[in-house]
Parts: sequence; C-alpha cells; structure tokens
Amino acid sequence: MAQTIEGQLSNGPPAVLPRDTVEVDAGLLAAFDNSPVEPEAYSSNLPSHLLDLTLTSTHHLISTLFQLPTTSTASGLMVQLPAAKTLLPREKPLPKPKPLTKWERFAKEKGISHKQRDRMVFDDERQEWVKRWGRGGKNKEVEEQWIHEVKAGEDPDHDPAASAKKARKERVAKNEAQHKANLAHATAPTSTRSISAQNSENRSKRKVELERSMLLTKTSTASLGKFDKKIEGEPKTKGVKRKFEPNVGEDWEGEKGRAMDVLKGLDGKKKREGKGEGEINVRKAVRFHTREERIKGGSSAGSKSVKGKRRS
Amino acid sequence: MRPLSEDETKAVFEKLANYIGKNLVHLIDRPEDDAHVFRLHKDRVYYLPLPMLHYATSIARPNLVSLGTCMGKFSKTGKFKLGVTSLDWLARYAKHKLIWIKPAGELPFLYGNHIVKAHLGRITEDTPEHQGVVVYNMADVPLGFGVTARSTLDTRKLDPSGIIVFHQADVGEFLRDEDTMF
Repeated sequence: MAQTIEGQLSNGPPAVLPRDTVEVDAGLLAAFDNSPVEPEAYSSNLPSHLLDLTLTSTHHLISTLFQLPTTSTASGLMVQLPAAKTLLPREKPLPKPKPLTKWERFAKEKGISHKQRDRMVFDDERQEWVKRWGRGGKNKEVEEQWIHEVKAGEDPDHDPAASAKKARKERVAKNEAQHKANLAHATAPTSTRSISAQNSENRSKRKVELERSMLLTKTSTASLGKFDKKIEGEPKTKGVKRKFEPNVGEDWEGEKGRAMDVLKGLDGKKKREGKGEGEINVRKAVRFHTREERIKGGSSAGSKSVKGKRRS
Repeated sequence: MRPLSEDETKAVFEKLANYIGKNLVHLIDRPEDDAHVFRLHKDRVYYLPLPMLHYATSIARPNLVSLGTCMGKFSKTGKFKLGVTSLDWLARYAKHKLIWIKPAGELPFLYGNHIVKAHLGRITEDTPEHQGVVVYNMADVPLGFGVTARSTLDTRKLDPSGIIVFHQADVGEFLRDEDTMF
C-alpha cells in the first residue's frame, strides 16, 4: 500500500504538541483520540474544541507517516504503509455449513466414518490402475467386453451388454433422484425430519389448535355454550364443571316449573316436526272422508259422483 | 341422588311421552299434597313422592338401594331405557295407546317374545307405527309394554304369524331379571 504526501506538508514536523492518548493506525490512515472529554472546553465552545482535537490527531497521523520508510518516484514521494492494526468486523455473514446429504446424516447418526473413494481402482486382471467411472471406466467393464457368457437356462435372445448398460443407467438415475431429494431437503425449512413426518406433525398441531379455539369459542358466550348446537365429534368441554340443582334445597314449584319448560320444549319440537297431538291426524281424516263418501255413494250413485265431487 | 339435568330430563320425557303422550303433564303437574319428583341415583331414574325424598336424604349414597318407583335407567352413552317397574305409572296414564292380548298370547309375551297378530285381542284405533303401547290381558291387567311394528291399518293385511308389537318389557322380568332389576 502506498500513499502520496502533499509537498507543502513535507516541509517540517508539526507545530502542535502531540498528545499521548492519540493512537495511530497507519495502515488504515486513521488516528484515534482516546482522551476523556473535558467538560469545560466541550460546553464553552464546541466547534473550536473539536477542531483542536482533530488538529492534534491529524498531526499525529502525519508525523507517523513521515517516520515510515519512503521511496521517491516520478509522481512524488511514496510511503510504504504497514498492515492495518485495527480489526474491523466482517462485512458479510459467515458462510453456512453445507447441508448434509441423507447418507451423511445417517452415517453421522450411526457413527460411520465415510472414506472418500478414489477415482482410480486397481484392475486385478490388467494389473494396472483404471478409472472407476468415465471413458473406459471400471463400471462399464461388463457392457464393453467383447464376449459375454450365456448362463445355463438363460434366454438365448437375452442381451447381457444391453441389460448391464440398462442397470448402470438406472443406478445413475437413482443417484440423480437422491441428489435432487437431498437438494430439496436442504432448501426445505430447518428440520431434519422427513416431509411426511412434518406434515403429520403439522396436522396434529393444527388439530390441537382447532380444538382449543373451538373450546374457547364455545365457552365465550354468555351462557358458556349451553344453548349452542352440538356438532358431531366435537371435543368434550374440559374444565367446565357440571352443576346440578340441589337435591332438596329448592322448592317443589321451581323444580316443577323447570320440568314443564322441558316438556313445552318437547311439544314445540314435535309440532315443528309435524307430529304434534294437536295436529290433524291425516290418516284418520282420510278414513273418515272415505267412509262418508262410501255412505253417500251407497245411498245415491256410484263412484263417478265421488270423483266429480273431489274435483270441485 | 340428584335431580336430573336438563338433557337427562329431556331424554326421560321423550321416552315417557312415547307411551303416555300428553298425559305426561299429570306426572309433573300434580296437586301440592301429592307432589312427586324425578331423581337420579346410580344411573337409575326414580319417581318418588316429595316426602319420601326428604326421608331418603338421611341415607348415605352407598346404602341407598332403591326408592320410589324406578322408571328406568341411563345407559353409559346417555340413552334412557324404560324399565318394567314403570309399568304402573304407564298403565295409569296411557289412555289411548293400548293393546289387549288373548289368553293364549299371555305366556309367550311374559316369556319375553314379541306379540304376533294371532294373539291380538283388541287394539286402540289409529295407532301409528313405532308407537309405544301398554299391553293388557283381556281381564285388563297390565302385562308390559312394547312398540307397534305396524299401524292399525296395516295390521289388517298381515298374516297371523306377523309381529305387530315389539316386546320392550313385561312383568315376567320380575322373575327373570330379579337379580339385576334394582
């Protein structure tokens, strides 16, 4: 690092007396004044006080620069700056650790130390090192050999080379799928569990929340949900204590009144359903009507007149 | 022992109304000197006069076996089942929903069988289907109660062996279920 110095400043050392408390970091071209604030000077005339402080710090910095080794170039005098002393905080956050693959997670859990496989394997037959995969790789050995054994009982049309290639392609495809699953898992929200397990957990969590809110709303009415319609399979209200009328304390009239109220409710329900006893018994009415018709029909004419009457 | 809650009262009244209809009012709305109340004790519903209730309060719960008339009991799922012990009250107030059976049909009914058409002596007119009825013998002695399988009109088409009343309870239970009755 190099810095040009203005010519007019290179005339001599600074006139202002330097303070002891000023620290200079020449690498960053910075000076720090650690002296405590003097209240009198600070409150009486702030701008001039600040200027004063700045002046001493600047003098310190420049005097330090002059003590550093210099080189003269065509464009002027150059100073060799040392490395910065002050540690600055990191601008960007630390990189996140690489997410583990499914196998790595399993291996970590089981304490399996995984050894990185070499790219080269030793071929016993050829007595030399060959590539594990790639052009002429060991994994293509079967499909690329020039003669194939047909085992006893095997289909003569069977192509061993093709099936070996197919098997290899399938392995590759499987690996791709696993890689994708690993990537998906890495980008998924922070959890090491499987997606289905997460879903079921979410479901049960939601259910608990739903039941809780239902209980809350049920007991939020003025009557503590006493008159609410019951829903099939709704959770049992816990915490709401059953309360019964006293066995003997109450007067009989009150108890009778309550029983009559329930009875009235039943009657009302029946009427709404059309089964009330005060209603017309349709079956009976029809029977009366037909009997009347029969009597009339017997005395006067046949069934023809009955039909005529009904229409009118 | 405690009074019935509102839901329980509703369940009991619905069952009773199936047999005695509007006369159910007479079980509740009684003269002051003949006041009766419903009480629940060990899942059984008792109908008892008010003075008896006051006497019974002095008996500890485990020692109290029965009091008044047992009307029936609540199942664990909260359904109410009428018992044969309620027959006296049902017979007194079931004015219009009755059935009389012939002497030949008495024993089969008292053994817990349904009533077939051959045993039918008389039946109240215009009884609808699934109506609770009190069963009498021809000498007007109440024998039990049941539920009609057919309406009065439909029984005419029925063959003699067809069921017209489903058995619910009969006085034969006093002997058959003596141990578990109270």
